[in-house]
Amino acid sequence: MRSQPIGRQTRSSASLTKARRGSGRRTPPALLALASLTALGVLLPLLYLLLRATQAEPAVLLEILWRTRNLELLGNTLLLLLGVLVCSTLIALPLAWLLTRSDLPLRRWLVFVGVLPLAVPGYVGAYAMLAATGSGGVIELLTGLNCPRPSGYWGALGVLTLFGFSYLFLNFWTTLSGLDPSLEDAARSLGLRPWAVFWRVIWPQLQPALYAGGLLLGLHVLGDFGVVSLMRFETFSYAIYIQYSAAFDRVYAAWLSLMLLVLTGAALVLEARLMRNVRLARVGIGAARASQVVRLDWWQAALALGLIGLIAGASLVVPLGTVMYWLTRHAVSSGGLLEAGLNSVLAAGPAALLAVLLALPLAYLGVRFPSWSSRLLERTAYLGYATPPLALALAFVFFSLQTLPLLYQTLTLLVIALALHFLAEAIGPIRAALHQVPVRLEEAARGLGVSPGAAFVRVTLPLVWRGLVSSLALVFLSSLKELPISFLLSPVGFDTLAKRIWGYTSEAMFAEAAPYALGIVLISSVLAGMVLVRERR
Amino acid sequence: MKTKHIAAGLAALALIATLSLSSHAQQSSVTVYSGRSSGLVDPIVKAFEKDTGIKINVRYGTDAALYAALQEEGTRSPADVFWVNTAGAVVTAAKNGLFQKLPAALLKRPAEFVPKSGLWVPLSARFRVVAFNPKTVKDSDLPTGVLEMPKLVKFKGRVGWTPTYSSFQDFITALRKVHGENKARQWLLDMKKLEPKSYASNTAMLDAMRAGEIDVALTNHYYIQKIIAGVREGEFEGTAEEKETATQPQGNVIGTHYFAAGDVGNLELVTGAGILKTSKNAAAQRFLEYLLSTKTQQLTTTTILEYPVVSGFALPKTLLPLSEAIRRSPKLDFEQLSDLNGTLKLLRDVGVL
Repeated sequence: MRSQPIGRQTRSSASLTKARRGSGRRTPPALLALASLTALGVLLPLLYLLLRATQAEPAVLLEILWRTRNLELLGNTLLLLLGVLVCSTLIALPLAWLLTRSDLPLRRWLVFVGVLPLAVPGYVGAYAMLAATGSGGVIELLTGLNCPRPSGYWGALGVLTLFGFSYLFLNFWTTLSGLDPSLEDAARSLGLRPWAVFWRVIWPQLQPALYAGGLLLGLHVLGDFGVVSLMRFETFSYAIYIQYSAAFDRVYAAWLSLMLLVLTGAALVLEARLMRNVRLARVGIGAARASQVVRLDWWQAALALGLIGLIAGASLVVPLGTVMYWLTRHAVSSGGLLEAGLNSVLAAGPAALLAVLLALPLAYLGVRFPSWSSRLLERTAYLGYATPPLALALAFVFFSLQTLPLLYQTLTLLVIALALHFLAEAIGPIRAALHQVPVRLEEAARGLGVSPGAAFVRVTLPLVWRGLVSSLALVFLSSLKELPISFLLSPVGFDTLAKRIWGYTSEAMFAEAAPYALGIVLISSVLAGMVLVRERR
Repeated sequence: MKTKHIAAGLAALALIATLSLSSHAQQSSVTVYSGRSSGLVDPIVKAFEKDTGIKINVRYGTDAALYAALQEEGTRSPADVFWVNTAGAVVTAAKNGLFQKLPAALLKRPAEFVPKSGLWVPLSARFRVVAFNPKTVKDSDLPTGVLEMPKLVKFKGRVGWTPTYSSFQDFITALRKVHGENKARQWLLDMKKLEPKSYASNTAMLDAMRAGEIDVALTNHYYIQKIIAGVREGEFEGTAEEKETATQPQGNVIGTHYFAAGDVGNLELVTGAGILKTSKNAAAQRFLEYLLSTKTQQLTTTTILEYPVVSGFALPKTLLPLSEAIRRSPKLDFEQLSDLNGTLKLLRDVGVL
């Protein structure tokens, strides 16, 4: 009996629900059509890559693809991926637990520590880390301490973890806040110790959050170029970057991009296998009540606050402090700041909304009507996330000019491309939230004579609201930071904060870049603040 | 359904935004794709708009991304001018038929570096140099020829280079053309024994030198110049407000080492621009003329610290006179730098890329 985690028992009781659902409801065709259309949009870049890939000459192709160096890069990539996932979980999970389940002082404000690192663009974070450290670095100038410079594997691991753990944190935090504590109560009443309750009851229920967040973070690491290049650690995306940028070549870069997508495909299959049979909705009657708060001793609270302070120091204080330092070195007239900020919001806002609207049917199908086709549709969204953004942008240049030239270089196209690229970020939180909504509630509503659509809007939507808001925030933050797609697809002369930052930092004009970097962080903080205030209700 | 309303609202919003943006582009305008970053281009564009009343729409990006986009756009490209940040890219674009032939009057403006093809004009020049940390390295420690660089065994592990960066690759191409494939390969293999650190950009590399990570680095002259200018309280910076801000030295000031005259390690490189074949816009030419005007050339020199291509300037004191810089650099036709694929293959073969 001991080897049987309690979480599993919920699954077997849920399998009854599954059987009944299978016979009772067919996949709504309108929903399926909408989801298929979205998936098609995501697959366009793949089509483009295949189109370009067929133009390759076999001999050159062999030279570029069959290199032991690629294997080495692949090994580096996987090593980094694993490291970042483990380290991020080690930060995100305790943090999320402390902020939802303990009486830690200031815990409502400390949620910012978990979310705000997402507002720092990775390349800015990495640059700031480098500028802050070493002899003559900002830290030494301000405090006299000579900090070692991050570089290589550990540097990349550290920076990617610090600016990426929020993906996992958001998922854990959302799930932990929404968990029904009656299972834990039952486990406790059966005599399980707190640790056992965690491992056998809570941890299994955190799995969708872990997989969804881990998948995003993983794909983020797979595709990252900015951070690893600054840390001088070479991964697979390095090879793709070289091919596009050094060789001015689209054809072989397409091959490398396809290889990266195969890698992503493997990750998706793995995640799908892990997720199979996870069924976590409440099946009992009544509403979930608030969870029990764990009281911390003063020393436990002090230790926790100290560790959180350390994380905040590395992921927020160092980069923001460095940016502030740059700012003080130059009195910069920032007339373009307001316009760039407005443009950033004008692109990121609609992109986030559109991504959430497109993600809803996909996630809903995947959770409520599990079948190979709905799973396939849902997974397709992740391919858009894993497509190297430059390739995705070129695909949209190509297809829009071929079919709808009027759309080219309009805000509309930029918004669509961003939404499709970041669709995967929107799906995770929605999916996790849907897992927590019992299908019975919808069925009850329908039993009372409400149409499926109305049942969804009146019953399910309010319950997954938290997930929707997380999705919205994630896509918004990512769109705000995004560069390659914005560069190629935005209307000519459309200046955004991220573009400005890049334009200045690439010429080492850090002081000029600083106000724009702060602009991104400020907008993101306001957004995060709004989300968190809503959460508190 | 609610979602439909939101979707319709969104679509309307996007449409309005699109229309309002496109209505801007009604007056006389030139569309420029710029591989140079906005920090450098914006001031020049603003000045041009003020002087001529012609609007400039700039699409920024890296040379490579814009070049790829131009290829995808093909005949439908809205671009008039491609302003390129590296010699390799401008030569590649010209070779692949992106540019139209420029009028002789325009080609006569630059004093140096005009390509035989007449498909693009040079806009500024930069030179390959060695950067060193004067606290740990003396200028006399460094060799007179770039081929001797691998002998710097005492700096093993403390040498920096930028294999992914275009100027470095252009230098390797020149090395191959001047000294032959075998010598170039051997040089790379010998350099690798020094365990050089590879940086993603020159800015990052020189920041690493500031932080004490490396002592010697292969770079372009103006990256060092910018750091010197920054340290010397904005002595060479354009605007008055910038001059006022006092800056303190950041770690070590960086030294510049030149090789002997004619050495390939002193390679000259240019940035340039061409007018796209698909453009029928007469104002595009006016823009290029403006870029070669005395006023703009002076601005380029004082803000970016690259060399002008039009003669008759007082250069900042820390720069070599242009004639001296040209005398030092090897004699090489830029068209030869277009053999980028050969260089990439070599860099891959020896395991540098």
